[in-house]
Amino acid sequence: MSFSLWDFFTHPLLRGPTFGTLFLCIASSLLGVILFFQKKPLLSETLSHATWPGILLAAWLQALFFSSDESSFFFLFGCGGLFAWLGLKSIGWMEKRGKVPADAALTFVLASFFGVGTVVASGLQHTFPKIYQEMQTLLFGQAAVMQDTHIFLYGGLALGAALFLFFSFRQVQLYLFDPQFAVSSGFKIPFLEKILILFLLASLILGIRGVGVLLISGMSIAPAIAARQFTDRLHVLFLLAACFGALSGLVGNWLSVFGTIALSQNGERLSLPTGPMIIAVGGTIAILSLLFAPKRGWLFRLIRVASFRLKCIEENILKGIWKKGPLTLREMRRAHQTPRALLFFVLWRLKNGGWVETQKRSYCLTSDGMKKAIVIVRLHRLWELYLASQLGLKSEEVHGSAEEMEHILTPDLEERLTHLLANPRTDPHNQRIPERPTL
Amino acid sequence: MKEAFAIEAEGLHVHLGKKVALWDLNFQIPKGLLVGVLGPNGAGKSTLFKTALGLISPVAGRIELLGTPVSKIRRKVAYVPQRESIDWDFPITAGDVVLMGRFGKMGLFGSPRKADLEAKEHAMQKLGIAHLAGRQIGELSGGQQQRLFVARALLQDADLLLLDEPFAGIDATTEKVIIDILQELKRRGKTILLIHHDLSQLEHYFDWTLLLNTRLISCGPTATSATPDLLAKAFGKREALFDEASVALAKNLTGAP
Repeated sequence: MSFSLWDFFTHPLLRGPTFGTLFLCIASSLLGVILFFQKKPLLSETLSHATWPGILLAAWLQALFFSSDESSFFFLFGCGGLFAWLGLKSIGWMEKRGKVPADAALTFVLASFFGVGTVVASGLQHTFPKIYQEMQTLLFGQAAVMQDTHIFLYGGLALGAALFLFFSFRQVQLYLFDPQFAVSSGFKIPFLEKILILFLLASLILGIRGVGVLLISGMSIAPAIAARQFTDRLHVLFLLAACFGALSGLVGNWLSVFGTIALSQNGERLSLPTGPMIIAVGGTIAILSLLFAPKRGWLFRLIRVASFRLKCIEENILKGIWKKGPLTLREMRRAHQTPRALLFFVLWRLKNGGWVETQKRSYCLTSDGMKKAIVIVRLHRLWELYLASQLGLKSEEVHGSAEEMEHILTPDLEERLTHLLANPRTDPHNQRIPERPTL
Repeated sequence: MKEAFAIEAEGLHVHLGKKVALWDLNFQIPKGLLVGVLGPNGAGKSTLFKTALGLISPVAGRIELLGTPVSKIRRKVAYVPQRESIDWDFPITAGDVVLMGRFGKMGLFGSPRKADLEAKEHAMQKLGIAHLAGRQIGELSGGQQQRLFVARALLQDADLLLLDEPFAGIDATTEKVIIDILQELKRRGKTILLIHHDLSQLEHYFDWTLLLNTRLISCGPTATSATPDLLAKAFGKREALFDEASVALAKNLTGAP
């Protein structure tokens, strides 16, 4: 068999899984944003695991009493939903009555329910091996068996969640941001909470088919984490999360379908299950976002820290020349504990920017450089005086802090310091505080 | 019909887990006053507010706002929580936070009307933060953040305002702006309760003072209820025995080992 990319969306065998997982991932990503801001992402993990014993017990009952080979998925998932609801109630009971911390309750329910499921599974393995096999596929999901009806099922779920969030967006935002205020201003929180929980349960139970018991919760949280890195607006965050979810669903399912076909053509009997593939894509998006998102990402933080360090070195060099007069490279290396290459780079930048110039092999300040150096010294001494006179520190203790603050104080803070200290002339070491030079 | 009080507590006991937070409070606060609520850390000031708002249920006794249980008049009460209790990293703009003051009236699917948006604009202007409406709340300074929550409370157009330490860690200008607004509200017949820490401004700020240290120390006009003697009683260390006894009581009541 060989399929084109077009077939991926249109072929009767493939379009079910394609659109099914797409809509499912959109729905669970939207709900994942809510869990993310409620600070209980573990809840969906716990509830999805809690469905496991329910599904297995239902399968067993069905095999015992109806002995049909076809297992009815409505019955199975109904029981799964019942057990998820039981899990939810147990968590609530343990927190409220048992005074158990939230994460402990969640983990306990997850482990105990899934443990029971595993016991049932091993019983099933001996009595109905065929059904056991069928159930095992639900652990990691098997999107390949999805049909056109699933498209409508998952599409309806995604549409329902999206519409609900659209029309109650401000209320959901209030609930996530400040629930205590929401209650105190007469807002009907329990009603909203019930609707959200219903959506969550529906997405978990329906999602088991596509992504599997073990991984469905990863599907809901990863897009939220990724989206959080890019925006400070909640509605954008919902949209981004849905896009990331959709992307993981499409690409993950594509990898699963075409990867498995490619492997089988090579004579391998390995298959790539849908759930893990979707999670792998979603996880990759989340990790890349954490690393490389502008503003919040790790790389840009690193760059900001590095550029601040560079600014400190530059300003220290200007200050050094201002204090000691023109310096040769050798003298400078003795004064600043900076690697030779970095020092060259910094001096090159300063020269380029018009702050220093070379005269007879030594570096001296231009008039701009002079003004900048004076500002740095002024900030340093103002801060020393502030610490000593306003906060009561001893004059020998203030230098270290001023070494840092001279690079940080803004013109606004400088003005407030000047005002607070009544435009002072000398610092605690009886050194002159220079006036701010006019630029 | 007798004139209802702004707040009235009768035999109010509140526990937080194993700890007695409030013990047998009985007091009445008339309407139209600016009331300072004072006491040492852990005295139960915030707990008193949360109980009044119905966020915590008392184990015994009752507390009524404007002559009715709080569940019936939530929309007449505005609450400004402690600044530390808020997640300032949350993706929301300052303007949207202020607008939340109107959500209680909107229901689950309502959206703000023109009048709501105008009221938001007006409140933010009054507090001098109108130019910050589009900022993410974490970008605001401490004083601006506090003004933001007062603006939200203004939007609720409540008859009773409860402010939990609005003056903690903010600049003098913001404190002045807020106290002026509160005094104006008082002149319009609103009642304001405010948890406060600074003892130096009591006479100047408050008509009425409630001193609290798990028990009620005093409740009355500031001149008579915040005397040095009573303040020493509220903030003093003589209460150790009482504290121990109350722990023992709570243990017995909750069945804790």
